[in-house]
Amino acid sequence: MAKTILIIDDSVSLRQVVGITLASAGYDVAEACDGQDALAKLNGQKVHLMICDVNMPHMDGIAFLKAIRAHPAYKFTPVIMLTTEAGEDKKKEGQAAGAKAWVVKPFKPEQLLVAVSKLILP
Amino acid sequence: MDMDQVKQTFIIEARELLASMEEALLTLEDQTDPSESINAIFRAVHTIKGSAGLFGLDPIVRFAHSVESVMDRVRSGRLPLGPELIGLFLECHDHLVAKLATVLENAPEHPDCQKEGERLMTSLIPWLGASIATIPSVHPEVSPRREGGKDYWHISVRFPPSMFQNGMDPLSFVRYLRTLGQMVSLHSLLERVPTGDAFDPELCYLGLEMDLETDVDRKTLEGVFEFIQDDSRIRIIPPHSKVEEYLSLIQALPEEEHHLGEILVAGGCITPHDLEMALQTQRTEDSQRMIGTIFVEDQSVPSPVVVAALEKQKRFQDKAVNEMRVVKVAAEKLDNLVNLVGELVIAGASAQALANQAKEPRLVEATATFNKLVEEIRDNALSLRMVQIGETFSRFRRIVRDVSRDLGKEIELEIQGAETELDKTIVEKIADPLMHIVRNSMDHGIEPTEVRLARGKPVTGSLSLNAYHESGSIVIEVADDGGGLDRSRILAKAMEKGLVAAGADLSDAEVHAMIFEPGFSTAESVSNLSGRGVGMDVVRRNIDALRGTVEIESYEGSGTTIRIRLPLTLAIIDGFRVEVEGTCYVIPLDTVIECLDLGPFLESEENHLINLRGEVLPFLRLREIFALSGTKPSKERVVVIQYGEVRAGIVVDKLLGEFQTVIKPLGELFRNLKGLGGSTILGTGEVALILDVPQLVNLASQRTRTRTPILS
Repeated sequence: MAKTILIIDDSVSLRQVVGITLASAGYDVAEACDGQDALAKLNGQKVHLMICDVNMPHMDGIAFLKAIRAHPAYKFTPVIMLTTEAGEDKKKEGQAAGAKAWVVKPFKPEQLLVAVSKLILP
Repeated sequence: MDMDQVKQTFIIEARELLASMEEALLTLEDQTDPSESINAIFRAVHTIKGSAGLFGLDPIVRFAHSVESVMDRVRSGRLPLGPELIGLFLECHDHLVAKLATVLENAPEHPDCQKEGERLMTSLIPWLGASIATIPSVHPEVSPRREGGKDYWHISVRFPPSMFQNGMDPLSFVRYLRTLGQMVSLHSLLERVPTGDAFDPELCYLGLEMDLETDVDRKTLEGVFEFIQDDSRIRIIPPHSKVEEYLSLIQALPEEEHHLGEILVAGGCITPHDLEMALQTQRTEDSQRMIGTIFVEDQSVPSPVVVAALEKQKRFQDKAVNEMRVVKVAAEKLDNLVNLVGELVIAGASAQALANQAKEPRLVEATATFNKLVEEIRDNALSLRMVQIGETFSRFRRIVRDVSRDLGKEIELEIQGAETELDKTIVEKIADPLMHIVRNSMDHGIEPTEVRLARGKPVTGSLSLNAYHESGSIVIEVADDGGGLDRSRILAKAMEKGLVAAGADLSDAEVHAMIFEPGFSTAESVSNLSGRGVGMDVVRRNIDALRGTVEIESYEGSGTTIRIRLPLTLAIIDGFRVEVEGTCYVIPLDTVIECLDLGPFLESEENHLINLRGEVLPFLRLREIFALSGTKPSKERVVVIQYGEVRAGIVVDKLLGEFQTVIKPLGELFRNLKGLGGSTILGTGEVALILDVPQLVNLASQRTRTRTPILS
């Protein structure tokens, strides 16, 4: 069974590009538009990896990260955070909250795919 | 920088390491937790081995490897470090020192030295236990693993404990590596896994050693660990075939000025991240290994590559001034510099005096700035000669160990204030007197074991060396908890020698001072260490020659403390100028506490006492003790000075202020004058006399008894 990746980003186009790239590499892809939406959609189900934007409406990436790290089902789930180069402070905060994998926007789809493969293979 | 110079640096580094190794070995027995010392010893040997490999010093590498192997077993707790092994390590230390000496002379190893090395290596073997080391040729562990004639990248990873909590899985990295090439071998290391309650299932204790056959470059391999590289230990060792490639890449680099690290990065041997990590290691370590050494020792770069890079670097650096950690300068040059600075100070003072006379504000200002700079140069020049006394003290560890063994006494040495700095010339000259005192304390001071037991003292005698700064001097104390000086025996001996008249009433201090008289020894037996009565008088003469003083504090039955007080420097001091009857005198500023008008503080003219806010201090009138004619001014001033713990007032006519003082010794004729310590030249070209504060303080406090001040 293919492994599931959840993409959380408020940009529809980004979600689509990432989704296509990952799906063609052999992953199952789910989408959410912000932290709240993601929490609702997750609802305890198993995902193998999450890709999460830092800057989002409603519930931002850091808050989301803190929320899932406190949840027994997602305590050890790999998370790749997406950030802009300017977000250094956020990066530190996020690393402390339990996300070591960061990919800087803008990125090429292949770059993200490499980062994902380091954490899980399809 | 040519290879010889690099070698010099290696030798300096190795000597420092060996000194710290010796110190660690000697302090091991006293420590409750010796792990720090054990690590220090291991590190010393390990670093020497690594660096020696760079220079192809095979005998050192081989020998150090044997020592390291045994040390490694000690470090991992598989071998207890007992006195026997410490003794063996000390011998190994001595042998390494001897080996280094031959490197310095560029001579081939002497056959005796070789024999000694082989003997020691043979004695090390039994300590190696089951893992009898295959004694390697040069850089054994640096050479890549070869299996079946092929060679592979070797990747060694120690994952961070927080791995799982950050959503990382060690297995995922292995899986990803397998997409890059063929995993030839993989060993997991479980030593870090704790047992029992210490085990936390949410933490990662895993380490992996992997051999990978792949065509990708170092950067790609390192990229695999991108997300965990900040807090894991990752080592990537290139396969042998890569070395050639690196070498040719380094050769092909454009001829520009580069740091070693930059050359290695440009040659693809390391990534910028490796360099950053190595630099960080270098910054945080005390041992200050060179960057090349770090790479070689961490096995991230094979040593031939580092050597090639060094050679590359050398080609552009022949003319360039390069960053050296230590510059060795002939002591003579430093002395010349200090002398010249002394002349500069005098010339500056003279310019200042002329400017003040001319009353031209701009000139005054310019000379003031100039003199401020001269003062800074002076301090800098003098600080060049300042060294920590610790090294001198450390030498005593070995002496105390050996001598106590010879004497059959158990003696422990405690060292304090090792970081106290003083002038190198003083350090050199104080070593011998200190040696005499220490030997005396061990031989005569500390009692034989039976006596100690009978007196209810601990079997192990204690000897302590202490150094600290106190009002412009450095104080060195040698204290023992032995029997103390025997007053009656000293007195009897003194009478026998005709040094004191029978029935003379002497204070304890006066009696104690007798032991510094020439030919004085009360020891019942003359051992081969001390007791011949030459020594203590030489000690005092040496200390006198350094403008220092020595005092003894001794309690019968409970121990003796010998306190040597020395000036911080012999050349230039900050002085305080005062005037009496038109003549200028200089008091060393370090000893000056404050200045007052005499009138309001006068307690008793007859007894020469002042009342300094409740504290009664004796004072001296310079005009009286130097028997100057003339009348005293209506308003006299007091300079309060301190030496040791004693304070006194010096009454003068005028206070003239601070003055940089270049000390010129008094001529042979005036050496025995009391109250004067030297002379100096003022800005006006006049000569001023420097007051000898220890003698004046002494005189002032004695006068309370004798009433009549007499100087000589």
